Amino acid sequence: MKNLQVDALVVGGGIAGMQSALDLADQGFHVALVEKEASIGGKMISLSKVFPTLDCCSCITTPKMSAVAHHENITLLTYCEVVALEQNGASYRAQINKKPRYVNEESCTGCRLCEYACPLDLPSAFDMGLGAQRVIRVPFSTAVPQKAVLDIDNCILCGKCENVCPVADCIDFTQTAVTFEIHADAIVLATGFELTPTDAKAEYGGGKLRNVVDALTVERFLAPTGPYGHVLRPSDGKEPESIAYVQCAGSRDISLGVAYCSRICCMYAIKQAMLLSGALPLADITIYYMDIRTFGKGYEQFYQNARAMGIEFVRGKVARIHEDAAQNPVVRVEQIDDGSVVEREHDMVVLSVGMLPSYNPGLIYNVPVAADDGFVAQSAANISPCLTYQPGIFVAGTAAGPMDIVDSIVMAGAAAAETAAYLEERRAVGMAGNGRSPQTTSVKEVSYA
Amino acid sequence: MSDKREDAKKRAILLKQLREAHKETVAHAQEKLKAQQAVRRDICKLMREEPKTVPEVAEASGIPAHEVLWHITAMKKYGLVVETGMCGEYYLYQRVKDGKK
Repeated sequence: MKNLQVDALVVGGGIAGMQSALDLADQGFHVALVEKEASIGGKMISLSKVFPTLDCCSCITTPKMSAVAHHENITLLTYCEVVALEQNGASYRAQINKKPRYVNEESCTGCRLCEYACPLDLPSAFDMGLGAQRVIRVPFSTAVPQKAVLDIDNCILCGKCENVCPVADCIDFTQTAVTFEIHADAIVLATGFELTPTDAKAEYGGGKLRNVVDALTVERFLAPTGPYGHVLRPSDGKEPESIAYVQCAGSRDISLGVAYCSRICCMYAIKQAMLLSGALPLADITIYYMDIRTFGKGYEQFYQNARAMGIEFVRGKVARIHEDAAQNPVVRVEQIDDGSVVEREHDMVVLSVGMLPSYNPGLIYNVPVAADDGFVAQSAANISPCLTYQPGIFVAGTAAGPMDIVDSIVMAGAAAAETAAYLEERRAVGMAGNGRSPQTTSVKEVSYA
Repeated sequence: MSDKREDAKKRAILLKQLREAHKETVAHAQEKLKAQQAVRRDICKLMREEPKTVPEVAEASGIPAHEVLWHITAMKKYGLVVETGMCGEYYLYQRVKDGKK
């Protein structure tokens, strides 16, 4: 793999990273987008619909994924990680480790014949372990790039995949990791977030009670590409008749060390409740909440619509969840309105888990994180939220803190603008590492007609 | 033709060497595969003639219902099992007749 010289290195191929890369590339800057997974798309590609418009998530994400892959100014590097970074004058030299796919990325056509020939099924992380994937597989149906990847640690090396592959020498069991360098004048960190582990709060039984799931699992149930193709409860495949949401199951909880509000849980719970009402018209849906935070444009109306649809909102903090003999979760809750403590049985309980920082860029990028929440520290949060304490390194999306998709996209655009201004300024004083100037002709014309 | 045979021979030797090099993970994966095939045989036997729900298969086979659901989900994804309708609150699944597994 050859070393690369680019204007900007974008780290992370979720919605924020893709948007930053596209906005920079559209202005003529050369961008390398590095993603640690085998496909770009981030968390957003696994969701069903977005709030408050209820637009199909795939329909928004896949065109962006495709645009990133086909943009002439973007070099897409999947299954790669930045393992070291050096300051090289005023620019950066990043060392990249490309993990072996055991499949030739150039020649793989994504036909999936290898996947169908493979004899062993494994739990699919994309479907939260509830669906299956083969040892060799294209990561998911809308993956970009549509290239297979082999999990060597679970492979019996039977060679069946190699026998059915129509491309000569495409599957290569001897492939090893390769290291190369990217020289970039600026970096955008879009490393995203993690969800609170389902078992973080032992009282809620997540990870132990099979019918207590997290909200991302329900996103997969609701997505057309989901594991079951329907909403079923994981213990026995029953179509649930009663579903409850437990709000703040990971946020605003000092016992978990998370004092902040994750900003998305109220809205995704309301959205999922509405979608579940559509998928299961006879089901009773209850949301146990402390208070509802619907601060975005159109969000409050969305909440009122959910109430009008018949979704039950119970004000109270869930104390614990246990299950009965039929594996039905039983929720114990103190209802704030009348002070009563009740136990209610449901077929399935969904934990509205929060957002946690997924990556600490301190070690490699020398970019500090905020002491109170662990997300990337912003040096001028109120006036330039994309600036970090490291010149030339910018932050976009949920790497900077909890936010929804709309805000992530807005921040990604802002990070691209900050990066572009930084690169232009450097060029003006003759500090640009690669001497290229943006091709202004590639900027799209905007019509106001 | 002899070139092809030669290539196949080389590939077989390489795979053997790789299996030796990855001895531990291969042995672990082989165990997983054997267990999976045994469970699938039991599940498929019950769904071959007529469609069954997950609890029906679980009760008849003694395999926990959540495991039955996972195996059926996996087989459905790769076209070995189809959904044929509903029985109460549960979907019915049947083994595809011309499936190779």
